[in-house]
Amino acid sequence: MTATAGTVRRSAGRPSRRTPLRRHRWWVPVLFIGPVLAIQLTFLFLPLGNTFVLAFTNASTVGGGVFTGLANFATIFASAAFWDATAHTGLYIVLATPLLVGISLGLAILINTKMRGAGIVRPILFSPLVMPMAVVALMFQYVLSSDGLVNQILSGLHVISEPIPFLTSSQLALVSSVIVTVWKGCGLYTLILLAALQNVSRELDEAAELDGASWLRRTVSVTIPQIRGTIGLVAGLAAIAALRAFTEPYVLTGGGPGTSSTTIVLYLFTKGVSPGTQAGYASAISLVLFVFVLLFASISWAVTRKGRLR
Amino acid sequence: MTTATAARTAPPVSSPPAASSPAPKPRRRRRRRGAIGPLERAIRWVLMIIAVAVVLGPLLWQLGTALKGAGEATVGFPGSLVPSDPTLENFVTAFTAVPLGRYLLNSGAIALLGVTFNLLLATLTGYALARIPFRGRALYIGVLLATAALPFEVILISTLLVTRGLGLQDTLLGVVLPQAVSIVSILVMRQAFLAIPDEIEEAATMDGAGAVRTFWSIMLPSVRGSIAVVAVLGFLDSWDQFLWPLVILSDPANYPVNVGVQFLAGAFSADQRVISAAALIVMVPPLLVYFLLQKQVFTGLAEGALKG
Repeated sequence: MTATAGTVRRSAGRPSRRTPLRRHRWWVPVLFIGPVLAIQLTFLFLPLGNTFVLAFTNASTVGGGVFTGLANFATIFASAAFWDATAHTGLYIVLATPLLVGISLGLAILINTKMRGAGIVRPILFSPLVMPMAVVALMFQYVLSSDGLVNQILSGLHVISEPIPFLTSSQLALVSSVIVTVWKGCGLYTLILLAALQNVSRELDEAAELDGASWLRRTVSVTIPQIRGTIGLVAGLAAIAALRAFTEPYVLTGGGPGTSSTTIVLYLFTKGVSPGTQAGYASAISLVLFVFVLLFASISWAVTRKGRLR
Repeated sequence: MTTATAARTAPPVSSPPAASSPAPKPRRRRRRRGAIGPLERAIRWVLMIIAVAVVLGPLLWQLGTALKGAGEATVGFPGSLVPSDPTLENFVTAFTAVPLGRYLLNSGAIALLGVTFNLLLATLTGYALARIPFRGRALYIGVLLATAALPFEVILISTLLVTRGLGLQDTLLGVVLPQAVSIVSILVMRQAFLAIPDEIEEAATMDGAGAVRTFWSIMLPSVRGSIAVVAVLGFLDSWDQFLWPLVILSDPANYPVNVGVQFLAGAFSADQRVISAAALIVMVPPLLVYFLLQKQVFTGLAEGALKG
């Protein structure tokens, strides 16, 4: 009784939302936080710690393993296959990020209008973001095949006489994967950029218009600089998504022909899950991947922050 | 920043940036500003039609293939884009000759269990982080935010070993548990619980309700909107899962649709028409959810993007 009264008086005195409202028994936070903590300890912190341990062993996914020091890392950095996969991932990022950001920005500007019809177009353009990537990639396996939609259209327009080997050429397989990433990814990034555009104040645009600036000029010099922070955010998200690309190359080409579309995550998969069972070696690759992700996350963070400060 | 505000207003259906319908403003206002001329209008129309064609084209072509009868060739260059004699037999075959029904059931079960876990954990933790003071709370929020940036691929191998070690390989729980905690969902729920006025909780305390009772009878009903957002997002995430089920499941009878259809497409006897029909069926549930519950989808996605 007294405890309750005391609590009420205290909270009445300090109406801040973050003020503790009441004192709880010790088990109350445990009850609320416990389940998540238990699952995170088992399926997040334990595996994370385990990755750091396994990376220095020659363990297999079926068991065993002894401490081998830095042997895995020595093997990784001496492995042509690893550098091959890293180069593909690098190329993936270099191709996918500007395409995702550029097309999404273009689409966002295009549909940021009160024109009739834009309201019908918007949900259609965003819709790929809810389609499962595995099924989208499967669909593009047919769309990009030698007798698929793209080759049919190009031949119908008499642009080509021979089908383009999107999936069977080692030069084009990775590009095809990027096409799928971009087709599926633009919905989400357009959505984010459109939200930013809608928060841009109209006054500057109108002032520039009164000064006689053209639409293109206003868009490039007035509107886009105002959403620089969001563009940086989207570029960071896109780069990290490209760094993690797995489903697209796995479904489209299985990393082939040869290893021409094998990304880092796909390489990790073939070493640690199927057909390989080298848990130790794959864990070492995971740590290298982790470093790459941290690198990109910090670059993206720095860029976004800079954009916001301006 | 805007999204945080959007989630704070009790039903988060408020102002999802892009969900709004066209709502054509009176034309006169636009004219006065001279923002849109006939040329710009025409250019915008052409570009929009191209964009829509690029999105819908592959889907329609897939539908065309799925509607082609057994007698009509899917191969050949240049071949036909439109079926000459449309038939639904491939959709039937997808359920009879191919275990698509089984895969859909597996996916449904995974989604149901996944969404349940996700909701339970996100509401409990979100509530504690918003309204129950405990030592280390700020630190725990920091840890949650940091782990949100950790890609699952990094711990894939070790998670496989842990899950296998717990005897959960080839089980429903094995698919769901490692992905059950969604940081985005926890943050959405925390925002929602923070928005509830203190007076309501004080009144409950005065009436003698304990922490659990307050949570269940007073707090949960006040955040129904955010619960819907978390449920919708959880369903979409679950339906999109591919890598983890592929890794942890070895018996094809347990495959969810994404892995199952992929498995079928790789089979030697795969008929492109049947696989196309199956792939289209797999896309229906998330698209249905998306078009019916756009506001929840957008609110959740905006929150998720902000986290990244």
